[in-house]
Amino acid sequence: MLASEEVVALVGVGILLTALYLQAESFVAPLIPTVALQSLLLAFLLGWLAWTERSVDLAIVAGLIVAIRAVVIPWVLRRQIRAFRWKVRELHAAHRVTGHALAAVALAVIGWFVFQETLAPAFPSPAAALPFVLLLQGLLMLATRSNSLVQVIGYLELENAIVYAAALFASEFPLFIEVVVFLDVLGVVLVGIILSIQRDVTGTLEEGQEEALSG
Amino acid sequence: MIPSAPTAALFVLLAAPASGAVLALVPHPRVSEWIARLAALASLGAALVLLVTSATGQWGSYLGLDPLSDLFLVMVTSIYATSTWYSRRYLRTVARPFLTISTYYALLASFAFAMVATLVVSDLGLMWIGIEATTIASALLVVLERKPTSVEAAWRYTIIASAGLTIALFALILLYGATGTLNAFSLAAHPPAVSLPIEMAVVLALVGYGTKVGLFPMHTWLPDAHSEAPSPVSAMFSGVLLPTALYAFLRVYRILPSPVPAAVSDLVLSFGLLTALVAAFLLQRQRSYKRLLAYSSMEVMGLAVAGVAIGGIALYGVLLLLVAHAFAKSSAFYCAGNVLRETGTVRIDEVRDLRHRLPWTGAAWVLSGLGVTGAPPFGTFLGELLIIVGAIATGNIAAASVIVVAVLVAFLGLNSQIGRMVFGSREGAVAGSDAPPASERGMAVAYLNIGVALVLGVASLPYLSSAIRAAVSVLGGSAP
Repeated sequence: MLASEEVVALVGVGILLTALYLQAESFVAPLIPTVALQSLLLAFLLGWLAWTERSVDLAIVAGLIVAIRAVVIPWVLRRQIRAFRWKVRELHAAHRVTGHALAAVALAVIGWFVFQETLAPAFPSPAAALPFVLLLQGLLMLATRSNSLVQVIGYLELENAIVYAAALFASEFPLFIEVVVFLDVLGVVLVGIILSIQRDVTGTLEEGQEEALSG
Repeated sequence: MIPSAPTAALFVLLAAPASGAVLALVPHPRVSEWIARLAALASLGAALVLLVTSATGQWGSYLGLDPLSDLFLVMVTSIYATSTWYSRRYLRTVARPFLTISTYYALLASFAFAMVATLVVSDLGLMWIGIEATTIASALLVVLERKPTSVEAAWRYTIIASAGLTIALFALILLYGATGTLNAFSLAAHPPAVSLPIEMAVVLALVGYGTKVGLFPMHTWLPDAHSEAPSPVSAMFSGVLLPTALYAFLRVYRILPSPVPAAVSDLVLSFGLLTALVAAFLLQRQRSYKRLLAYSSMEVMGLAVAGVAIGGIALYGVLLLLVAHAFAKSSAFYCAGNVLRETGTVRIDEVRDLRHRLPWTGAAWVLSGLGVTGAPPFGTFLGELLIIVGAIATGNIAAASVIVVAVLVAFLGLNSQIGRMVFGSREGAVAGSDAPPASERGMAVAYLNIGVALVLGVASLPYLSSAIRAAVSVLGGSAP
């Protein structure tokens, strides 16, 4: 039987691997099942913690993550891809994949060391640095990608980092469920409404097409 | 049992915009408009009652007021009210709006409600939800005019602001993990011992909320959203949304005991100074007058953040600057809306001779430009002066010098461009737009707001000046 900390660490490594894969993939379609898998891993972790800590809140959050981040949002994203099936690869991203992957690994290592030097004494769990690293990976994805669908996936990664952090650092975090629901509502709003408008009005999901917004 | 005046006012303050957001959906534009106006006036009235009665204290576990929130509430509800009033004439000239008029007013009320809710809660988690709700409520308002640029601006705004707020939430999780509470009032009353997790939480909150405040280098959404949103919404963005996000950061910053650890206050100061300086120089190369105003807001927010780090008398300057700027900048955006409707362009080099084409708008435009850049005797001048005096009083001459440079560069850059638009010869200007001529009657709210910004600099407005003093004491500063 695995100890609780070993389960947390093992699942954490799985989450980290999905995060690194997301950085190194330039096609949009494979990113969707990957981020869904990341959400499922996180939900499994929360379910495990809910079981060991007898926490109803964590169990509800695990259920919400499965329903919204592993099912509903990926379904909406796939529909968007179908509408844009001739543009499933992000413009400009293909020749930058190596750079993205190297930057992701470097950022993961830097994030790990920064956490160990600053916050580790307060949060001594061996996997405690992983939410911080995941947060940095999500931010890197938002900063380096210009396709709106890919940015949504980066945002989902940020959301996962937050829930992951709350579960490890502050499982009694007040309003935890409300915050998770709120983040997911925002995610659905982002995906469902603004992407549709963007598709209808601009005919592209690539940012930076409007010269008037420079400067 | 009859509720006390503050309790009743607090109820109205929350209920008015909330019910306005629902009732304004009635499918009759005129009725929707009047519902929105009444909701805005009711919330402004309630905020004034709270200010006059100096409402303080907590209601249950989650609601709480003190002089700082009372001051911000008046600021938010004032600009909400004037923007609602100005919207009618602006909406009339939008050719193919993406939203119906009813939906527009409903979203405007939701946006105001989210800001008001942020200001009346004592729990930092709820405060975060309030700030996040402002993004949801306002993102669709940015695409009102259905332009490709406005859609891209809305997307950038949503994704960048949300990413920043995720960092702020991470900060709150660290804070809760270290202290076991998120009640801002009890944390401020009994500051926890300084530790690395708490300092890290404050720094992450600076980065997170700073994204929404428009701090460099997380500011990239700001000029896009401010310039692409309809003018009444831009006025709310610049005038009150940015200060509301700063308020959320102030509540986290306040939990650090005085004196604030130098590492943290130096970082806050650096972010503020860098933002003010970068914005002042970026402002020089703008071709759009709405982006010009957006960078001016960024410069002011940079000064405010620097003032927070300086502390002491500078805090009085910060609050005075924020209040006066809210009124002056909203006035500037109302003028910009009229100019856009009259000329059909946002390009500075295509607009000339406003003094003849739109004399009332042109005059308000010049006054607003002076007001937002801190010309004497506007309240912004006094606010900026006190921040500089505060920096000198604490021996920080370098910071004072940077602030002086940023203020002068922004002043010259913004007012020279506005001067060209108003007094420049008609040659080279566009003939006019296809939109119906803008009404100068809509300028009444612009004159009202620029008047308030002016009076704040030359006289004590009843209750408001004492309210600023009381709010400064909440932040641990001092008044002149």
